[in-house]
Amino acid sequence: MSVPVSIRKISRSFGAMQALVDIDLEIAAGEFVSFVGPSGCGKTTLLRIVADLERATAGDVSIGGAAPKEMRRQKKLGLVSQRPAVLPWKRALDDVKFTQKIAGRVGYPAEQLLADFGLSGHEQKRPGQLSGGMLQRVNCASAIAHDPELLLMDEPFSALDEMKREEMGEWFALELQKRPRTVLFVTHHIDEAVLLSDRVVVFTKSPGRVHEVVTIKAPRPRDRSFRETSLFIEITARLRRTLFHELEAGV
Amino acid sequence: MTVQSETSWGFFGALLRFVVSLLLPIVSIFGLWYLAIYVSDLPSFVIPDPWMVLVSLYENRALIAEHTGHTLKVAAAGFILSNVVGIGLAMIFVSLPLTRNAIMPAAITIRNVPYVIIVTVLALAMGDGFATKVTVVTLAGFFPVLVNTYRGLQAVDPIVLDRMRILDASLWEVFIKVRLPYSIPFIIAAQEITGSASIVIAIAVEWMISRTGLGYVINQGMMAYQGELVYAVALVAAAVSFAVYSLIHYLGGRLNWSERNDP
Repeated sequence: MSVPVSIRKISRSFGAMQALVDIDLEIAAGEFVSFVGPSGCGKTTLLRIVADLERATAGDVSIGGAAPKEMRRQKKLGLVSQRPAVLPWKRALDDVKFTQKIAGRVGYPAEQLLADFGLSGHEQKRPGQLSGGMLQRVNCASAIAHDPELLLMDEPFSALDEMKREEMGEWFALELQKRPRTVLFVTHHIDEAVLLSDRVVVFTKSPGRVHEVVTIKAPRPRDRSFRETSLFIEITARLRRTLFHELEAGV
Repeated sequence: MTVQSETSWGFFGALLRFVVSLLLPIVSIFGLWYLAIYVSDLPSFVIPDPWMVLVSLYENRALIAEHTGHTLKVAAAGFILSNVVGIGLAMIFVSLPLTRNAIMPAAITIRNVPYVIIVTVLALAMGDGFATKVTVVTLAGFFPVLVNTYRGLQAVDPIVLDRMRILDASLWEVFIKVRLPYSIPFIIAAQEITGSASIVIAIAVEWMISRTGLGYVINQGMMAYQGELVYAVALVAAAVSFAVYSLIHYLGGRLNWSERNDP
């Protein structure tokens, strides 16, 4: 199950500082949309507003026709953070089951989910016994264990090294094919955004506005070979130019 | 053949090391004790012969055992109440942050008032019974529990709190399933301080106002110039305090998730 998301005229200020100004976005059910932009442009803030973890100063968000708070109450949201939000005393399997217990809903059998995430044989390990990549897979498994309709991901693979990050991106694209859902994805990595997304939203530097929305006209999931296509090269180059332009503007 | 002899030497070596590690503290304590007697030239009721202390310990074993029981009751009740008050206040402070501003200054004040004054006031108000002694031990012991538990409850990783919020977890679920487990290493550290301190404080209060307990026996020993009895009680008190610390340390290690390395 997937839901559409409407972001209408969202603004957010922190005292005198404006973080986001008039953000308008319509996201279709099942769509994968990435937010890219310079540091401090408010992309994480927007994700947190959609997640009902922060309030907007103006505007509103609707997820499947309901307010984020209502979707949260119905346990239809999932969150993957940059650092794994796993509980340090829980074994991998227990951590996944913990989400299901709190949500009161078993989206997928926890053992099967971990097996699908390449964690067979590691179910009984605690966070300190898992590598960074494995830990982030447990984090993703725990985030979707209750089968949320909207998955919010805040730089989920940024803490990993380059190769591991690419590998995780490719793995996650395949995972979404098996269990499709709407995804909002914050990232600093243009190539990651282009590989995974239907659309990439480019933010201006602070205060964050939507500079442009780039549609990636290629079917998902895209594998490693997509990185060598002219479409990939052309879009990443264009996005890079836009971001550098944003960074250098006013310097 | 070579391997066997190495193994047996390894075993005897380990045994020797174990025996030496046991004997060394005893030899050093008694050696320094005898040295102090020899050098200081103080009367025997001030610094008695270790052997006389052991004799006194044996002869007064019934008396010391009975009063150790009294001291342990006071210390145990005070220790439990220290935890109830300390953990309870920490939970209230985290749930209702305003209460921290209201209560913490009073807690710090109590912490810094000399215990002699607290004992005097409580003895005047409540007499010199069990309740007074337990109250003093509680007032002396709750603060480390409060501070550590509060710090532990606050030590939760904010991203875990985000995870709980996105799942619409209740405050109770967040508290029981996240905040409390996060605070366990901190609470255990506080127990190691409060556990042995409860015994020391209980003895001090008994020394000041009580007619029971090891503190009272010390007092009686002093009055009668029975230095060996005072030292015998000191040995028992140190042993009990060490045993309590070790027990808490062992149990804490079993409960503490941050020290678990099992596969």
